[in-house]
Amino acid sequence: MDKAKIRSMLRCVIVLAVIALCSGLLLGAFNILTYVDPLQSTYERFAADTGAKFSKMTDDTGKTYGDGSVVYYAVSDDGVYHAFLAEGKGGYGGSVQLYAYVKDGKIDKIVVGENSETFLNKLEEADFYSNFTGKEIASLSVLDTDAVSGATKSSTAVKNAVNAVVEYYKESVGGENNG
Amino acid sequence: MDKQKAKETLLGGLLKNNPTFVLVLGTCPTIAMTTSLSQAFAMGIATTFVLIFSNLFVSLLRNVIPDKVRIPCYIVIISTFVIIVQMVMRRYLPDLYSTMQAFIALIVVNCIILARAESFASCNKPLYSMLDGVSMGLGFTAALCLIGIVREFFAGGAFAGIKIPGFPAMEGVGASAFGFIVFGCLMALFNFVIQKVNEKKERMKKQVLPLSDGKVGTMKEAA
Repeated sequence: MDKAKIRSMLRCVIVLAVIALCSGLLLGAFNILTYVDPLQSTYERFAADTGAKFSKMTDDTGKTYGDGSVVYYAVSDDGVYHAFLAEGKGGYGGSVQLYAYVKDGKIDKIVVGENSETFLNKLEEADFYSNFTGKEIASLSVLDTDAVSGATKSSTAVKNAVNAVVEYYKESVGGENNG
Repeated sequence: MDKQKAKETLLGGLLKNNPTFVLVLGTCPTIAMTTSLSQAFAMGIATTFVLIFSNLFVSLLRNVIPDKVRIPCYIVIISTFVIIVQMVMRRYLPDLYSTMQAFIALIVVNCIILARAESFASCNKPLYSMLDGVSMGLGFTAALCLIGIVREFFAGGAFAGIKIPGFPAMEGVGASAFGFIVFGCLMALFNFVIQKVNEKKERMKKQVLPLSDGKVGTMKEAA
């Protein structure tokens, strides 16, 4: 076998491997610098969206609904806000993270979190979230809501997340309040 | 450092070789991220950061990277800086990050960055390559902001998120099709202005002036 050819191939492999290794080390260093405790960042997000204080997660193990949408739950320290972090499955780029806040049995606010959807802005343009905000949870039928044209899969992921929140609330929170 | 070359490199990306209006590169983020000025600006700055550092490292390693694996090496370098941008945005600008997440990740395949790494940084010194990154990045940012201002004004009746009183929002105008129309119109206007400026410069060069010795000559000879 041609030694020069092998040497050239080896050089290519070594250079690429060294660059990848250096890249990994640099990213590791940046990860240490920019790391945020996911639980702490969730509390901060809840607090920023509602103006209330959250110091513990009521349910940090989460419950799974429908096709795999997961919901985590916390109550504000003053007991006014019920905050939910939901991951809705079925989007075009995977799952859509959604923060939903319930006050007095109504969905007070919905804020979209991390996602890989490229058409989520269409939902905002179409005022899609107003199908849920300000509505009584007990009378909400989320899955019957029409999807936004041109963003059907993103709409589905958001609907799945909101539906999981509604299910969770009806099952665990609404019952407690009623009781 | 050659001052003339540095000046040409620095101004090239802003005007003569503007990546958006002249080279027509990076059209996908140009249309997707220009629905508002804030998003356009953030996308431009993120791309500028990646351009500067990927150009710098490609230039530093240009004599080490074998030709056969240059593209995978460039992609590793570019994606490293894109992930750094993602980490920083996730930590310090979570709201903006959640709306732009999908497009920030796509900077890896933005053809402006790969094109500059391949055509400029791989055959120029690190300092010039960084200047090229700054120039191309700022040219891209300026173009995105310009398109963002026009689209936000017509689609949302706003400027930088501030509603303009008495101006109605035209919702359909926010669609991508209108984005292409705005992009095309601004591109035509930009190239028209650049052409007129160049023509004026040429005319000035050829203009005949009286010289000190009583003869006539061009501006260059008079100088």
